[in-house]
Amino acid sequence: MRLRGVLVAATLLAFLLPLLWTALASLGVLPDNSSRPPSWRGSASLDHFAEVGIAEPAFWNELVTSVLMSACAAAIAVGAGFLAAYGLARAPFRSSRFVTQGFLVLASLPAMAYVIPLSDLMRRVHLLDSFAAVVLSEAAATAPLAVFVLHGAVAQLAPEWEEAAVLDGAGLFRVIGRVILPLVAPSVVATALVLFVLDWNMLLVPLVLTSGEIKTIPLGLSDFFTFERELDWPTAAAALIVSLAPVAALVGLFHRVLGRFSLDLATPA
Amino acid sequence: MRLTRRDRLFLFAPLALLLAGWLVLPALLGLLATFTTYSPFAIGVHFSGLANYAAVIRDPLFGSAARNVAVFTLVAVPLELVIGFSVAYLLRRPFHGRAALRVLLLLPWLVSPIASGVMWHFLFGSATGVVDFVLGWLGRPDLPSPLGDPRLALPAVIAVEVWRVAPFVTFLLLPSLASIPSERWEEATLSGASWTGRVRHVAIPAVRPLLLTITMLLTGLSLGTFDAVLILTGGGPGTATVTPALYSYNRAFGVNDWPVGATSGWLIAAAVLGAGLIYLRLSRTRFVE
Repeated sequence: MRLRGVLVAATLLAFLLPLLWTALASLGVLPDNSSRPPSWRGSASLDHFAEVGIAEPAFWNELVTSVLMSACAAAIAVGAGFLAAYGLARAPFRSSRFVTQGFLVLASLPAMAYVIPLSDLMRRVHLLDSFAAVVLSEAAATAPLAVFVLHGAVAQLAPEWEEAAVLDGAGLFRVIGRVILPLVAPSVVATALVLFVLDWNMLLVPLVLTSGEIKTIPLGLSDFFTFERELDWPTAAAALIVSLAPVAALVGLFHRVLGRFSLDLATPA
Repeated sequence: MRLTRRDRLFLFAPLALLLAGWLVLPALLGLLATFTTYSPFAIGVHFSGLANYAAVIRDPLFGSAARNVAVFTLVAVPLELVIGFSVAYLLRRPFHGRAALRVLLLLPWLVSPIASGVMWHFLFGSATGVVDFVLGWLGRPDLPSPLGDPRLALPAVIAVEVWRVAPFVTFLLLPSLASIPSERWEEATLSGASWTGRVRHVAIPAVRPLLLTITMLLTGLSLGTFDAVLILTGGGPGTATVTPALYSYNRAFGVNDWPVGATSGWLIAAAVLGAGLIYLRLSRTRFVE
């Protein structure tokens, strides 16, 4: 019992120390590694958060763009994914689970495998630098994962629920809206949250589909760094903390529901 | 319920449209293009057989990239699985504060690969870093950042990625491990199983299909490694951490060698689809059992 406590504390330290370090740096509290033993210098202030907007004037805009894009992409992917997952789960063919496993393979496909022709295609249909192209591409990249997870959730429901509604004369829309969706709502919300995080952190898709007009947070962070001056660490740390805060807050708020994001297909009803 | 044709159209059309337009069609057009001299601004396009593939495979830079990503995948994926599993195993039984702990432990995964690159660049640094701070306390001299050392750069990149991804593995495994009925653990303990025995005979069998699925996702993620090295090392020093994805990107958008970039991008797809076939095979045998 005590051993487990020590192990848990050690794990927590190992995973969180780097983030704690960053949080302290963002407040201006920095290590002094040249003294022996190392010590701390600087006093806590919020000045560096204000500097983010000076170092990268578009940063706060990027934050808004990222929120909108990730929310739209997650909503589209979960919407389309949920309908297909339901269709697959109730399909008459027996290999629907095999098809679902195929979606997992698709979900594992790195974006680099197809973004080069994708950016060419988007240029030809004049969608380059458009909000829609980035959102739809992000949605397409993450929708297969949504199909896989939601198929698992729907397949666990006993068909009797729907049959009762069908006997009452309900059509497909009512069955989905009144019966299925309420039952799998926690899984749908959990999937949307995980997809939101994936979209929030996606670099490659916005990178190849935009040329500076529209910027998301990872893009901002990356050219924060690549061309320009070596950025001040406290300012970079403040930007990192700000970019982490929205997703951390979401995960904190919905942590109960998040447990329903399950890749486990092992226990169908 | 029994689905009519119209129902099925309604259910599958949105996903089909989304995937066809923004994933499958570009991927297939890209595949077609790899057998030609096509590039976005080329004037005449003609069939070139396997010339692009030959160019990629003969390029020593791609050779380094393929070797790096093979090492990356073979080291990072098992480490992520083992560490992620161990932490989930540690947390499998409820205790006071477990819910909060689960959220805290997911934090590294919420950091984007780009942000983690920026962060670790400084954390490995001498003046600002956590590594040298700890070494200083232990009375050791400072180390230069491993990211600048050709031999240490790849291990450092792998360590950073494991730090970021292992918490996600824990997150995925924990609900299944926590839902193993307590009688199963007790039986195993009564029959004299050590903790390794409990892991092997109780925990692993309960999550085996899940582990297979997670392995597939992690393999794809590793084979496509791009943003995790972009900021941290940019592929360097030299070619120590270049990956096929970085190579494809630089070819297509950096030096305007579009056909070679698209071709090496397709080689990544081929590797992942190959792994996918093995995955489908393994998961199928499971259903037949």
